[in-house]
Amino acid sequence: MEMPKVTRRTFLKVSAGSGAAAAAAPRLLTAMENDLGGKDFGPVSGAERKAIPVNCHVCNIQDGAIAYVENDRVVKLEGNPEHVSTRGRLCAKGNSGMWYSYDPDRILYPLKRVGARGEGKWKRITWDEALAELTEKLDAALKEDPNTIMLKYGRNRTGGSIDRFMKTLGSATVVNHTSVCESSKKIGMEPTWGPDIETPDFANAKYVLNFGSNVLEASYFHNPLSQRVTEGRVDNQMKIVTFDVRLSNTAGFSDEWIPVFPATDGAVALAIGHVILREDLQDSDFINNWTNVTVAELKEHYKQYTPEWAAKISGVPVATIERIAREFATTKPATLFTYRGPAKHLYGSYNEKACMMLPIMTGNVEKKGGYCLPRGMGWPQPMPEPGKPAHDSVLAHPPEYPLAAHKVSHLVPFWIAEGRQKINVYFTYQDNPVYTNPGSMAVWGKLFKDEKLIPYLVSMSPFMGEETALADLILPDCPYLERWEPESMPNSLWPWLGIRQPVHKSLGESRENRVLLRDIIHNLDPDGKRGMKQFWDFKDGEDYMRHHFDNVPGLKEAGGLDFLKKHGVWPIYGKLDPKTGKVSDKTGREIKADYGLYLKELSAADMAGATVDGKGIISKNGKAIGVRREGKNCVGFPTGNRLINVRVDQWADYGFNPMPTFKRIPWHEAMKEDELILSTFKLNVHKQSRTAAVKWLAEIAHSNPAWMNPETAAKLGVKTGDLVRVESAVGHLVTKAYVTEGIHPKVVSIPTGFGHWEYGRLATLKLKDKKGEYSHGADDPDLNNVWWDDKGVHPNNIIPVVADPIGGSQGWYDTVVKVTKAGPNDKYGDSEGNWEKHVAAYKETMRYAYTGDLHRKMHPEMAAWAGPDSVKHKAGGGH
Amino acid sequence: MGDYVWFHDVSWHASYAVYFFVIGILAGLSFISYGSWRTPALRPLREKAAYGSFLLLGVGGLLLIGDLSQPLRFLNILNPAYLNLTSPLAWGALNIVAFGIASVVYILALRKGNEKNGQLLALITALLALGLPIYTGFDLTVHQSRPVWNTPIMPVLFVALAIASGSAVGALLAAGNAEAQKVLREYMLWSAGAVAVMLVSIMGTTNYGGSAAELTFMIMTTGSMGLLFIGVGFLAGSVAPAVMLFAPMGRSPSVVLVSALLILAGSAALRYVLLMAPQQIQTLY
Amino acid sequence: MSEGSKVSTGGGKRRYAMVVDTRRCIGCMACQVACKAEYDTPLGVNRTWVPYKVVGKYPNVKKQFLPRLCNHCEDPPCVRNCPVEATFRVEDGGFVLQRYERCIGCRSCMAACPYNARFMLPSHRTYTPITNVVDKCTFCFHRVTQNLVPACVQTCIGRSRVFGDLNDPNSEVSYLVAKNATQVLRPEEGTKPHVFYIGADRNATEFGRDAYQKREVMEPERSAFKNHFKI
Repeated sequence: MEMPKVTRRTFLKVSAGSGAAAAAAPRLLTAMENDLGGKDFGPVSGAERKAIPVNCHVCNIQDGAIAYVENDRVVKLEGNPEHVSTRGRLCAKGNSGMWYSYDPDRILYPLKRVGARGEGKWKRITWDEALAELTEKLDAALKEDPNTIMLKYGRNRTGGSIDRFMKTLGSATVVNHTSVCESSKKIGMEPTWGPDIETPDFANAKYVLNFGSNVLEASYFHNPLSQRVTEGRVDNQMKIVTFDVRLSNTAGFSDEWIPVFPATDGAVALAIGHVILREDLQDSDFINNWTNVTVAELKEHYKQYTPEWAAKISGVPVATIERIAREFATTKPATLFTYRGPAKHLYGSYNEKACMMLPIMTGNVEKKGGYCLPRGMGWPQPMPEPGKPAHDSVLAHPPEYPLAAHKVSHLVPFWIAEGRQKINVYFTYQDNPVYTNPGSMAVWGKLFKDEKLIPYLVSMSPFMGEETALADLILPDCPYLERWEPESMPNSLWPWLGIRQPVHKSLGESRENRVLLRDIIHNLDPDGKRGMKQFWDFKDGEDYMRHHFDNVPGLKEAGGLDFLKKHGVWPIYGKLDPKTGKVSDKTGREIKADYGLYLKELSAADMAGATVDGKGIISKNGKAIGVRREGKNCVGFPTGNRLINVRVDQWADYGFNPMPTFKRIPWHEAMKEDELILSTFKLNVHKQSRTAAVKWLAEIAHSNPAWMNPETAAKLGVKTGDLVRVESAVGHLVTKAYVTEGIHPKVVSIPTGFGHWEYGRLATLKLKDKKGEYSHGADDPDLNNVWWDDKGVHPNNIIPVVADPIGGSQGWYDTVVKVTKAGPNDKYGDSEGNWEKHVAAYKETMRYAYTGDLHRKMHPEMAAWAGPDSVKHKAGGGH
Repeated sequence: MGDYVWFHDVSWHASYAVYFFVIGILAGLSFISYGSWRTPALRPLREKAAYGSFLLLGVGGLLLIGDLSQPLRFLNILNPAYLNLTSPLAWGALNIVAFGIASVVYILALRKGNEKNGQLLALITALLALGLPIYTGFDLTVHQSRPVWNTPIMPVLFVALAIASGSAVGALLAAGNAEAQKVLREYMLWSAGAVAVMLVSIMGTTNYGGSAAELTFMIMTTGSMGLLFIGVGFLAGSVAPAVMLFAPMGRSPSVVLVSALLILAGSAALRYVLLMAPQQIQTLY
Repeated sequence: MSEGSKVSTGGGKRRYAMVVDTRRCIGCMACQVACKAEYDTPLGVNRTWVPYKVVGKYPNVKKQFLPRLCNHCEDPPCVRNCPVEATFRVEDGGFVLQRYERCIGCRSCMAACPYNARFMLPSHRTYTPITNVVDKCTFCFHRVTQNLVPACVQTCIGRSRVFGDLNDPNSEVSYLVAKNATQVLRPEEGTKPHVFYIGADRNATEFGRDAYQKREVMEPERSAFKNHFKI
């Protein structure tokens, strides 16, 4: 934004004669613009509120925040104005994070199940009793096989203590949640250029292609990137084009929303690439110098992906594809962003790869306004560290998915049911697959209710989520405002380290996770004889943080942990300028980011003893450390050969196409005229499962009717508010229709985050129920004002598992459904999934794995591949 | 549902319409009591009307105070330091208090049989009573953003409604007194007719008054609001009694009584719709 | 048209205003929630809120957001209509504020406000003892007098909300109002609002052409709201 150059000082000088009275007015400020934050005052008391810098953790964007405390209660959360990445702002979720702490139904004391599993009968016990019981179970499990102790986490921002815990126990059975999140995006990117995500420089871009990311509402990195998207669009006149099946806020904000048939983004991206190469609009120097293919190879490979071919599959007209291709290739700088839209499909990894090829072939990588590498920072771990477990776990590293470095968590219940791994003790941490995973209650609910398969379920949770409700023992964990955690997230072009610190004492008897884990270990190994206690030698959370932060170079000199406690973030690059909303240095100029990271030159010390091969690859000790180009020894990209691997040879080993490609989903091709594809999405005010009990967010959005196009609705004879029955191969649900122009006619879309059957009285709208035995939080009188009466219907029961054979990702947007007007026996809220049918879907999706019978059929171009037996020996190495 | 939607409460709920209704009747009764000094036929109603008016003032006052969300602060409105003369509510409060005092003095004079000051006090009371429908009308008129309310006709309409409903109550009180009913029939006829004419002009300006007014017209003339406004208020409550009373059979006591009941029902319905309907459209935006 | 004729200034005094640049609004609702937190605003009522409409026909569709709040009018009908002067305008700054201890709860100001900016506080709140009186946006008077921007501006992700002194020719709001085509809501009411919009689609908001289309999607919610508040 062009601001007048006259400063207040010069203004005063020129108008001193007439304007002095205004400047002298005492109580209100001078006419200078007000500060953007850093302080807060009580509107009633007028008193300044105590400010404690923290790191937000309502979702995983990791914004810098300040908690304001009045009367020992966090009353306000604001962005930390010293945080250069998130620049003092928070989203709606971040602004309401204190309700995690003050949830009236928060669990504050250890609970032991007394009724049948899931019956909701609990007994409050002491920590000593809880730990004694748990120690007994763990002891027995350790005697049998440490791997029978499983831990599955959803959101793990402990900075290493969860892994330390499991390694201390010697178990490799650690499962995450990434496969239901974005894992195929990561797998599409990692072998290609190293990191698992990009940082699009929206603020300086002139053209943006957005494939299936809803960055203005959710996705990585909602708040910090949204700030830059608006800057780019309004201040820098960038054009943004969004491909999505649905009018997200991002699509609505874009100059063009181009609806695509689900799962066909990759085909469109390939066709755009085809046009760019056909018309010779690519950046040949970049391709030849910095990728492992030549322009000629690429042109030859892309010949097959004609706009006509893509138009037929995706429904995007040929002329649009050609126009967008030319615009993208000729407007500099340009960038691209993707998220779950392309990735969450059977062949999501291919889709992601096809998309990321566009900024690569146009040479927009690591340019100002382009497609940049993520910038993160690390921290050391406390010493000593436990070693790797003796044996790998088949649940953590299934041999059928050797390329899925982020695991295949959503298939785990089927593998446990098949007896591939015995479980004695199952820990759950910030996870809720009973709600969040495909199959939902029909799959995970079934698993957790089976005491033979899961004999002992321990939930470390402050909330009675759908999964915790099925636990045998609940250990009251702390929400983020009561925890110590190290933090860093590449959520803009500025790397940073941050900290979460407790804003007040843990409520009730809750214990923050790392302390809780320490207490478990200390109980198991009270005298250190088992060799476990040595890894858990810290006083409290703060002491643990000192091990992380007091020796980080640079931060150490600034004051280490004490600096972070005071500022919340390091380094401080400059000051938030209230006039521009940007971060400026001491002279008032905007802080500029670094670009061209891959061109950074290696030092003489790095080069000592290094060799350079004919292709310019610089190697040292058998490892590529850089690339020599134009006489410069550049560091290159963080891949094995320091180049961008357009051709991923490792994929070919398993019979996958190593080059950019697209695979149509077979069952989409076979769809009948009256069938639709079910997609799900997140609204900007909710997370997947943990915000339904946050009153301010629930007030904004509390129900989730099924979006459908007027054309679709007319065919079904339904209008907004009518009940519809949505039926998939594995179950059915009954919900309300929402007829909107903002959706592809072949898609029906249901947002998630609604329709809870647990998670406390607000989420389930059972506010008249009396406080349960499990509920220990303070009542909130404001809940008398809850006026809405519709909690929505959760779709996951009817979504079958699909696993990307490469990335292991769940194919969330692949479900074919039949939507009909609800019948006389259909009731709003009906939702049913069938275990046997889910098992059938699981077996079907395994046929696409490289070991399955459909793999070869899907890859006729890989006919020369020698088959799964040729690579069996390579599989099974832990990641 | 699927959209972020914000709703707004209406400012004044139906209890306020009841207050308007009561205020109208008490003003009308006050007029009758004064009228009895000028028209001998109404003489039997003088005390009844005065007492009834005072009684209704008590009811109305309680309704008004009860409608405040801080009822105990109703005295603030009489605090001279807080007085805001640009607010019709402030005038109204003064008017009500003055009317109350005048009523008490007047009733005392009636009880003492003080004929000398009685007529003057009746006149003062009636003039203060006239202020009540006028102020309640202004109370709506001053809200410039509200269709229907923000028309000059509201105070006049409220005066006409006060005469109509007050006379109707008078006619019921005077059942069996043919002389008084004859006079009251005239009052009812002309005031109901005037109400009907004013409603027509309100409908006309509202139906062609820009989007907010047009949408309000739609609300006022359809659904249950439409039934109350057009059916009960306009047709049954003003057109029908005016026609019946004007017709040759209009002098029969039974027609007068039926008309009185219709007028009361109609004026209640009209108060409700005129209060509630113009508030609806703004809650949508 | 000179700026002076667009906005009446208070003669040497400060005149705070907000510019809402709807081109930059991404509808994230952060402002609304930040405001709820700042004031412990109960459910069902809002000092600021962000309605939106889906505009256009498939596939040329957009979302139009219109952040709303008290306009801190130069000529506020609420102040004129309050019988006890519980609501008043601060000369220096132009804030329209409420005296909670004096308000009798007659709702006259609510009826007078063309913007739905005022609401009755319910009897239940989380921790603030002020209930059953009319409340409204204060332009964060308590923050602004401490040299801070209002809470909604502070958290605005798109930097759509800009706050400042309109009487200072060098303020950002002065610049934006001078250099852009701006709109105010319901200017015909003569209230002289001090919330300026850039790019507001008045056709899709207030009582524009779009008002004639019933928004079916709101109806079930509306009936729940009405049920709860016994409207």
